[in-house]
Amino acid sequence: MMDTSPGSREVDVAATINGMQVTHRVPARLLLSDFIRDVVGLTGTHVGCEHGYCGACTVIVDGDAIRSCSTLAVQADGSTIRTVEDLATDGDLTPMQQAFHENHAMQCGFCTAGFLMTLESVDPDDYREPEQVVDLLSGNLCRCTGYQNIVNAVCSVWEVERS
Amino acid sequence: MKPAPFDYYRPATVEDALAALGTSETAKVLAGGQSLIPAMNFRLSQPDLLVDIGGVEGFDRLDVGPSGVMIGASVTQSRVMASDEVAEAVPGLRQALHHVAHLQIRNRGTVCGSIAHADPAAELPALAIACGATLFLQGPAGERTVDAGDFFLGPFWTDLGEGEIITGVHFPSEPADTVTLMDELAWRSGDFAITGVAAAVATRDGCVSGARLVSFGVSGVPSRMAAAEQAVLGFAPGDDSSALYGAAYEDGGDAVDDIHATAEYRREALGALAVRSVRAALASNGNGTGV
Ligand SMILES: Cc1cc2nc3c(=O)[nH]c(=O)nc-3n(C[C@H](O)[C@H](O)[C@H](O)COP(=O)(O)OP(=O)(O)OC[C@H]3O[C@@H](n4cnc5c(N)ncnc54)[C@H](O)[C@@H]3O)c2cc1C
Ligand code: FES
Ligand code: FES
Repeated sequence: MMDTSPGSREVDVAATINGMQVTHRVPARLLLSDFIRDVVGLTGTHVGCEHGYCGACTVIVDGDAIRSCSTLAVQADGSTIRTVEDLATDGDLTPMQQAFHENHAMQCGFCTAGFLMTLESVDPDDYREPEQVVDLLSGNLCRCTGYQNIVNAVCSVWEVERS
Repeated sequence: MKPAPFDYYRPATVEDALAALGTSETAKVLAGGQSLIPAMNFRLSQPDLLVDIGGVEGFDRLDVGPSGVMIGASVTQSRVMASDEVAEAVPGLRQALHHVAHLQIRNRGTVCGSIAHADPAAELPALAIACGATLFLQGPAGERTVDAGDFFLGPFWTDLGEGEIITGVHFPSEPADTVTLMDELAWRSGDFAITGVAAAVATRDGCVSGARLVSFGVSGVPSRMAAAEQAVLGFAPGDDSSALYGAAYEDGGDAVDDIHATAEYRREALGALAVRSVRAALASNGNGTGV
């Protein structure tokens, strides 16, 4: 039987972020969002509500879109993380980023990284109806656009017919 | 805000997890973290030790067999939702999970964590009761099982004892004569329900021969709807629904009044959802699905 806590207040986190290997010793309480922004220095991932509601902090961990504000950095130990900085190559936007630009699918842009990473994580073949696209986007809040232009951008890239 | 400092521990065995939980009165199990970490960010919860069960041997099992589906404690909601075998054995699970939060949250949130958390507006506790699911618990005093129907005691309050862990939940296969489904009202797709119904409806000769109807989001705890379960016996597709509606309205007698809806609104919604679920169950049974 243990009588003292087997846990530790400081933990080692080793992960691959956007193809780059990083290793840091951090407090156990550090959120993944703060690890990405403050420790690794990638500030494209935004933090809105910090309680899992808005989706601004969405990143991809081992292929799945997740809320980085509701995940501890230590829970991502050993994983492969992708953030919005991984999308464009040498300034060349992805088709989805380009469509956001062309459809005016952002105003302040605070929510955009979260939307893009959610979209990047899924297989477009699973979203053939506009309602499915809207449902997919329901986990990301945007306070500016009213969503129509975001839905338009997605449907244009994924060739979803809008009625 | 950020969580208050805590010690973090990731055991590889359930024995080590239980021993660790025994070292501190405020220690908490960390599963997907989708309820716990937001609560810690708000400092509503300040455990001094988190026992992350994500790496516990055997907790990642998702077994589908003739008797039903066994879901281990670290299995995410997305993984259950994606399994066609699960959807075949217990169709209500995929349907209910579609209403649980959003993709990004389901990718981490676990089925067992939602049951342990026991939010009164959560879908999975109500579905577990409707399906007659069994919870597998392990604690300092050993292992035991509890029927989902006896597990939920109040808002965020369950039969889970000090230092006990849910190791898995078993959902029995849907019987051939039964359709299990879930219906709810929420302001936004993926939000918690303002009022919801989980229903397991058995039919014989086109009429309802038995039903487990469970309300959620109505009072502080998911509850069997005793009056509606009686009133629905013998109900056929063309029948007038006012008696069923009235009985479900009665079942909502302890509905809460809050910022989202009045108690009266919830009771009326409960009546409407009960009728809608039973009709949907009869219709899908008639179509051959679930028969
Ligand atoms: C924005 C948002 C919207 C949401 N919407 C919904 C919704 O519509 N419907 C819904 O049902 N849920 C919703 N949720 C909650 C979500 O489903 C959570 O994933 C779930 O409630 C908790 O599961 P978890 O694995 O994340 O548990 P955690 O957050 O890790 O744990 C939750 C609690 O349960 C305890 N616990 C977890 N696992 C075990 C175990 N195996 N044994 C003993 N104790 C355990 C923990 O100690 C903690 O107290 C939402 C969450 C967010 C952030
Ligand atoms: S900042 Fe993570 S969901 Fe809002
Ligand atoms: S563009 Fe401002 S929040 Fe979406």
